[in-house]
Amino acid sequence: MSTTIRTQPPPRLRRLPGHGLTDVALARLFIAPSVLVMAAVVLFPIGFALVTSLRSYTRRQVDGFAGLANYATVLSDPAFWAAMRFTGLFTVTSVALEFVIGLAFALLMNHARRGRGMTRAVILVPWVIPTVVAGQMWAFMFNINPGFINSLLGLDDFNWLGSAGWATVTVIAADVWKTAPFAALLLLAGLQTIPAELYESARMDGAGAWQRFRHVTLPLLRPAIMVALLFRTVDAVRVYDLPQVMTGGAFGTESLSMLVRQFIVITPDPGIGAALSTITFALVLGVGVLFVSQIGRSMVEGGSTR
Amino acid sequence: MSTVNGTRVRRRSGGEWLHDGLLVVVFLWCLAPFVWLILTSLKQGDAALNDPDLLQGPFGLGNYVAVLAQDFALNMRNSFAVASMATLLSVSIGVMAAYALARLPVRRRIALMTGVLAASLFPPVALVPPLYEAWRTFGLLNTYEGMYLAYVSFSLPLVIFIMSTFFAAIPRELEESAKIDGASALQAFARVILPLAIPGVVSAMILTFVTAWNEYLLASTFAPRNPEIAQTVPVAIATFTGAVEYQRPIGTITAASVLVTIPMIILALLLQRRIVAGLTAGAVKG
Repeated sequence: MSTTIRTQPPPRLRRLPGHGLTDVALARLFIAPSVLVMAAVVLFPIGFALVTSLRSYTRRQVDGFAGLANYATVLSDPAFWAAMRFTGLFTVTSVALEFVIGLAFALLMNHARRGRGMTRAVILVPWVIPTVVAGQMWAFMFNINPGFINSLLGLDDFNWLGSAGWATVTVIAADVWKTAPFAALLLLAGLQTIPAELYESARMDGAGAWQRFRHVTLPLLRPAIMVALLFRTVDAVRVYDLPQVMTGGAFGTESLSMLVRQFIVITPDPGIGAALSTITFALVLGVGVLFVSQIGRSMVEGGSTR
Repeated sequence: MSTVNGTRVRRRSGGEWLHDGLLVVVFLWCLAPFVWLILTSLKQGDAALNDPDLLQGPFGLGNYVAVLAQDFALNMRNSFAVASMATLLSVSIGVMAAYALARLPVRRRIALMTGVLAASLFPPVALVPPLYEAWRTFGLLNTYEGMYLAYVSFSLPLVIFIMSTFFAAIPRELEESAKIDGASALQAFARVILPLAIPGVVSAMILTFVTAWNEYLLASTFAPRNPEIAQTVPVAIATFTGAVEYQRPIGTITAASVLVTIPMIILALLLQRRIVAGLTAGAVKG
């Protein structure tokens, strides 16, 4: 590719504005808009929430410095711990299931001799369906009326969405359905970078299928696994759409994100809402940092000078 | 690809049969719930809609007629406008930033990339309190601007990630030879590199559009009602109410769901390669 370009006659270049820009100046010019926009829609909100969370309010009016009192209020609120419990349970269970099912799908697709393109297209369907649609769909399928899943399982009038514990199961089921294929795509991309010769030589050394999986596939798939787990875990910790649409947060399915939004709309105290959203932000960031430190600098250094 | 016909000639072994059988499981997983959705949306009348038997008719297009009578076309218009603007804005400035981060001498490059990563971990709900106050002050509640400006907070990091991977894969010699031919840094980018990165730009555009089209949390906070102004599709689908209050109208909701999902599925099938390339950009490195 590069050699054919080189041997071509020089392209005729009209003078564009900014012709004389140096690389450094161009870099600044190119980065500035993104930095400005991110400052406006990410940095400003974080700072604003931090400041708000340290103030005390009476009827939505600032009336002084609250120190950490708002945080103490949030941390002693049973609703916060209930949301933590649901969010934690949801995250651990759904990410684990998505990972196992996604890996199984990826291995199947990687070995497929036929219909690879077809399968890859089909596997995008759950990903592309809006989460709200997926939530409504699964809520109706689990609902007593029309009772589709109950009739599939031979249950009579089991109230999935209306009982503590099982309501959580329905939300997790909908999430696993929607995102296991996404995990499969990320893992499949990783599988396809593993050279076939490695499997050949492992086979020659007498390694069975399980040993090849355990000693060739898993170690080499580690970077892709970490990336898939990072994306999925961070997404799961900030879950909002599915429980909001399916159960409205009833029967112990209120997530942290739902609680934050509740507070903003209902509570007359912006300080407490801001403290809650800052805690949520710190939690999500903490989970992210944990993964990124595991992946190492490789992701950040992405398109580096190599 | 030519192996398809080659393997057909051979007798298929038991292992291959088992394998194809398992692939059917993948197909069913992905498609069966959607088949349920379509069949339910076509059922007419309460008796059929409340029957767990999927093939219990009568069938017809009544639910679709009802949905379109409820201003759903306006919701589609709003979603299209907001998602398009979010895509245009974040792709146009994100592509430049990604190129600078991948190729140009940038001071504090690692710090900036870390910032992008941190921003992509950002929980959208943390935007709700501050932006709700700010939008109220600026009069941006119930407007397209209020939504797509907020969407840039998560679509811009996405674009920068995807595009810096694509730019990094383009050989450096191309810029160098363009510069030897007298091109400036800007010309090398605009005339040589950008045309080669078009597939990446398409990937970034689709992913941004789909994410914005499906967004619910911010849309339901900043524009909760009024399809004629700015209410988007997911908000409408989440809040449809039937003739009887507290009874969710299964017919209308499923019909509306099919209406918004069909274009997205067609998009996914047509642009499958570009979407997978975008989704997995970054995932295979490391």
